[in-house]
Amino acid sequence: MARFLVLQLARLGDLAQTRRLLLGLGRQAAALGGEVHLAVDHSLAVLARRLYPFAVVHGLPAHGRPGLDARAAADRVFESRQALAALAGMAFDRVFCLNFSPMGMAVAAMFPPEVQRGYRMHAGQTDKDGVMRLVFRLARNRRGAGINLADIWAHLDDEPLAAALVNPAATARGGGLGVALAGREARRSLPPEMLAPLVRTLFLAMGGTRVTLLGTAAQAAEARALLRRLDSPVREACLDLTGKTDLPGLVDAISGLDRLVTPDTGAMHLAAFCGVPATAFFLSSAWCHETGPYGAGHRVFQAVAPCAPCLESAPCDQGLACRAPFGDAGLPRCLAGSGKALLPAGLVEYATDCDALGALCRPVRGEDPTLARREALRAFLTRRLAGVDGADVPGGLEPAGEYDTETDWVLPPAGRPARGEW
Amino acid sequence: MDGRRGLRILVVLPMYGGSLPIGRHCASALSGLGHLVETFEAPAFYGAFEALKTLRVTSDRLEYLENSYLQVISQAICAKVETFGPDLVLALAQAPLSRQALKRLRRDGVATAMWFVEDFRLFTYWEAFAPYYDVFAVIQKDPFFERLAAVGQQNVLYLPLAADPAVHRPLELTPVERRLYGARTSFMGAGYANRRVAFAQLLDFGLAIFGSDWDGDAVLGPRLRLDGRRVTTEESVKIFNAADVNLNLHSSVSTQSLVSGGDFVNPRTFELAMCGAFQLVDRRGLMDELFSEDELARFGSVEELKERLGHFLAHPEERAGYAARARARALGEHTYARRMERLLDFTAGRIAGWPAGAGGEGALAGLPEPLRGELSALLRELSLPADVSFDDLIVAVRSRQGLLTPLETSLLFLDEWKKQYVK
Repeated sequence: MARFLVLQLARLGDLAQTRRLLLGLGRQAAALGGEVHLAVDHSLAVLARRLYPFAVVHGLPAHGRPGLDARAAADRVFESRQALAALAGMAFDRVFCLNFSPMGMAVAAMFPPEVQRGYRMHAGQTDKDGVMRLVFRLARNRRGAGINLADIWAHLDDEPLAAALVNPAATARGGGLGVALAGREARRSLPPEMLAPLVRTLFLAMGGTRVTLLGTAAQAAEARALLRRLDSPVREACLDLTGKTDLPGLVDAISGLDRLVTPDTGAMHLAAFCGVPATAFFLSSAWCHETGPYGAGHRVFQAVAPCAPCLESAPCDQGLACRAPFGDAGLPRCLAGSGKALLPAGLVEYATDCDALGALCRPVRGEDPTLARREALRAFLTRRLAGVDGADVPGGLEPAGEYDTETDWVLPPAGRPARGEW
Repeated sequence: MDGRRGLRILVVLPMYGGSLPIGRHCASALSGLGHLVETFEAPAFYGAFEALKTLRVTSDRLEYLENSYLQVISQAICAKVETFGPDLVLALAQAPLSRQALKRLRRDGVATAMWFVEDFRLFTYWEAFAPYYDVFAVIQKDPFFERLAAVGQQNVLYLPLAADPAVHRPLELTPVERRLYGARTSFMGAGYANRRVAFAQLLDFGLAIFGSDWDGDAVLGPRLRLDGRRVTTEESVKIFNAADVNLNLHSSVSTQSLVSGGDFVNPRTFELAMCGAFQLVDRRGLMDELFSEDELARFGSVEELKERLGHFLAHPEERAGYAARARARALGEHTYARRMERLLDFTAGRIAGWPAGAGGEGALAGLPEPLRGELSALLRELSLPADVSFDDLIVAVRSRQGLLTPLETSLLFLDEWKKQYVK
């Protein structure tokens, strides 16, 4: 029996982006007779069961709030000893640790090194699979990078599912327009005064039925600010659900929409998961070639200022220059569907799609300063990661020289004893 | 040896894996052809990499240390080249030669060759390393040739795998060995995904499995022999000899297509043939030019495998016919010695002025007559040709294991005298 464990201890969006890996493993488990197990933070366990009904979901204490005293922290953690013991008692064929997190690696370390994939730990030594080492090298030049996070995780396995089979085709579902308010990083979102004309334009372009505002309770004030800036026909069509849905409720709300307007958020990934078209605004540290909506049929407007994508943790010393083009009057005209409208300088519009490597964003409007570099890199990565399916993709020889290292070539990849054996 | 003088060849082995025994067979074949061969024993350095993984440092630091140590090994190879002065450095896939070291060897005029005994579609690192070798020998044809040309490698040689008749040979097994290694249907090799799924359908055919990486397979577990450990080359020869039918299914990490239908032919095919052992092998794109249909019994699907397996288990006389014909073909055409000859011929044809002139006068020249007789015996013992140069003889003497004889010590003395006192 094939038995797989995926450790996804990050946030909502990451959980949705794990679908390609999980579906691929699910397919293998079904073919061979087996099980897929998924470990997530307690707060995501219910949602995980809903998103991945074929998986056995385990809740672990991965997230907490700062300010706990030592005893309370100990109580939280030790509540899960049984869950950890249950995992440790199972013989997994492969254990995928997807997060560069000491907690994830600590769980992985309960299993032999030869079954660990992704981030790993054995005898106290943390390490990364070759794919992850490569990804860290790519991250030194994020601007030229071009592989979706979901595909990095999927390629930790030898038999990833075809990218086009991961999410349903993006199609209007009849429930009007959804608006996701700011994600966790406010700098990556548009302020209400910029968002309002864009929402209005899309509302009208879609026939003006209903607008649903989505977000946590922390974003309720932002929703009210947006409502104040909308003219009355739009405002009257608005249903403000910020702070009023739990995670399954959020899935319910999103899954019936015609389109979701969003920055790079967990809601965006849920929309893609449900096959709801997204219109996504990517700026600041968000880079759609890394975390864009997965699958074909979404629109992305990416800020391509020379400083983008920036480091999330570093303060901006450019006066949020990447945000300005989203306030340009040209953008609503583009959103309205005018073929003649010029996209404001500093933005590129992409249509999402899939190829042999995974999900990608194809430029449809605006000047894409990183296209050539990205295409070369994807060609290289396709040959490297997509196996026989990608073997015939030409180009990308320069990145091969840049990113292949002696250790890749000479040393056996961690935990893959069969490599090089006949 | 053909008209070419005896060459000095440094064989750089990989640290681990399937190309390691192939490297050793190459070194042995080159010696057998009369060349002076040294091997860079990379496996001896592998323990340090494993030790690095026990440091408990950050993963970034670990990667840095691995890179740094690899550079040290590369420098060790360069130092070995300086001292040994080879005409050719032959590296096997995964040999620990950095690009920096390869650039240095090229700058110093040392010819380098890589025998890339891997699937280019799966191990794509060749893209970054192939341009730095003077000759690149491969086990696949187009489009690999075309791809190598695109990265600037023009000296590409198709060099299929082979077997060593001194190692892979028919054996008379003892009853104990037959019990230990024998089976009606046998497979020796690593537990790749396609094999696991395919072999699970062969339990009715007296299947036994030898080799590593089969852990955790509940269906095949009871058929696993020798505790699923990696078997030595010597043991594999006994396994081949002890089976009625040897299965040979080329590996794949995919379970979507169990018989992958790829192009290159694996070493097991040649080894089984050279042993005179019967095999059922999956069809490969490049197989027909290596063996004919009446030399190797083939299958193209698991269904066909089952059908043919049942047939051949019931017809030992047919098995014997196939095995004898395959062995004759392998002995005639598929030895490592033939491959090495081909590689050297190709290198000579592609690198102008290679090999450079002989390294000094013949070893016997200028020696007193009684010594010449004694030295001739030593040359035979060292498998060196009669016209070996004095310098090559000294290299061979220095690399001998154990205690030196008075003659050998005298030769080392003479070498020093030549350096210090002879004009």
